[in-house]
Amino acid sequence: MIALAAFRLAAYVRSHRVYQALLLALAMLAIVYGSRAPRGVETAVLADGAVLIVPILAWAARSLLDTEPDRQRELSAIQVGGRGREVAAGLLAAFAACAVLAALVLAWALLLGVSVSPPPAALAAAALLYVLAALAGTALGALTSRAVLPSPAVSIMALLLGFMAMLLVSASSLYWLTVPLLAWMKAANAGDLVERLPELAAISLAWCTAGLAAYVHLRRRA
Amino acid sequence: MQLTRVSFRYRKRDRLVISHADARLSAGDVVELTGANGAGKSTLLRLLAGLARPSSGVIADRPAVVGFAPDRFPTAQPFTVTTYLRHMSRVRGDARWEPWAERLGLGPLLHTALRDLSKGSAHKVGLVQALMAGPGLLILDEPFAGLDADTREALPAIAAELAERGAIVIAADHQSGLRDLPALRHWTLQNGHLHESPSPLTLPATPAITAGTPQRPGTPEAAGQVTVAVTLPACDLPRFLARMRDEGYLAREIEESH
Repeated sequence: MIALAAFRLAAYVRSHRVYQALLLALAMLAIVYGSRAPRGVETAVLADGAVLIVPILAWAARSLLDTEPDRQRELSAIQVGGRGREVAAGLLAAFAACAVLAALVLAWALLLGVSVSPPPAALAAAALLYVLAALAGTALGALTSRAVLPSPAVSIMALLLGFMAMLLVSASSLYWLTVPLLAWMKAANAGDLVERLPELAAISLAWCTAGLAAYVHLRRRA
Repeated sequence: MQLTRVSFRYRKRDRLVISHADARLSAGDVVELTGANGAGKSTLLRLLAGLARPSSGVIADRPAVVGFAPDRFPTAQPFTVTTYLRHMSRVRGDARWEPWAERLGLGPLLHTALRDLSKGSAHKVGLVQALMAGPGLLILDEPFAGLDADTREALPAIAAELAERGAIVIAADHQSGLRDLPALRHWTLQNGHLHESPSPLTLPATPAITAGTPQRPGTPEAAGQVTVAVTLPACDLPRFLARMRDEGYLAREIEESH
């Protein structure tokens, strides 16, 4: 399974599709972190980056999963010993790509976006938000990949609308009905991200797991 | 391997593509699957390979290692032949692919990009990835399409070797490229129904053409067939044999006895 995940990552890089997400991420970084934020708002600035990177990570995950031709996906399933392992290898590769991009954004934010490094607890909380962003991006990208939504137009619309829905629902009092992206930002701005992190992380993890489980179900049913 | 009342439809209200197929496959079986276009051959192969689940019925005792060579190998991938096969080898637990590439004549193309391969060469890559792990079940979808004469000659021997080692070989093949193999089983799909018919070797109506010396012990003379000798330039032989096989004749080269 690891070898198949490596094969898919290699295809993603060698096909140059990786540059689509990389350029989008760099453009976002240039805009959001064009100037250093003043002291005292480090955690909020880092949380903003974690939220804004989600659609780019979803795009990266979708793009990685769509790099492989459909026929090769079938060959891969046979080579690796079953559809389940092929699906797992794809998700692993997508998460790895998202994690690398998220790490790049976090590193950029710390180096060029803030005046001083936040306290260790706040930094750890922000780092966890980036991990959750990578998971959310992987789930959203997988659910809009070609194996689930064959039409490119429908797929792109679903990706964008899915992200918009996450933002709108998480801005309301029903934020627990989705990955609570705006609740991350609000908590960081209010200075209580560390205190609220267990609740927000649990909700985020639950929805990411549900999204990934839905993808696995749809792929195995096909 | 056992198929018990296997049926398949793509969606709930669609017609059955495969209808109540029953079959038993034993180690060493070589099966030639034929049927008209759209008869469901590729669907049956996907079911046998485990890529699709039957809508009803059961496929049991599928060998653990399956090799599948598609009719059209997906060349739209950013790899050379070598890098692709190395990746597939790692997925297969470092299976040895080099001897198969050599045997199928891929040597000169190892550093060629997949997207630059001809149809026949791409087909060879598909065959190598299917063969490298020593499959217990080898599934070939139109394996002779686009292959050069040397590989067309080599492939039946490869299938026979795998069968001798206990593998099951199933080939959807319009060109009857495996017809010289002894004990070849013949499956036909008609309107979604799977039938097994006697091997072409035992059919009385098909004339045979043998290039070289006529008569040979074991030829199907007793079954009412006729063996004729054809003399032609040596350089034309592969093309001639391929043409005869394409037209449905049992044609083979035999060595001169003098």
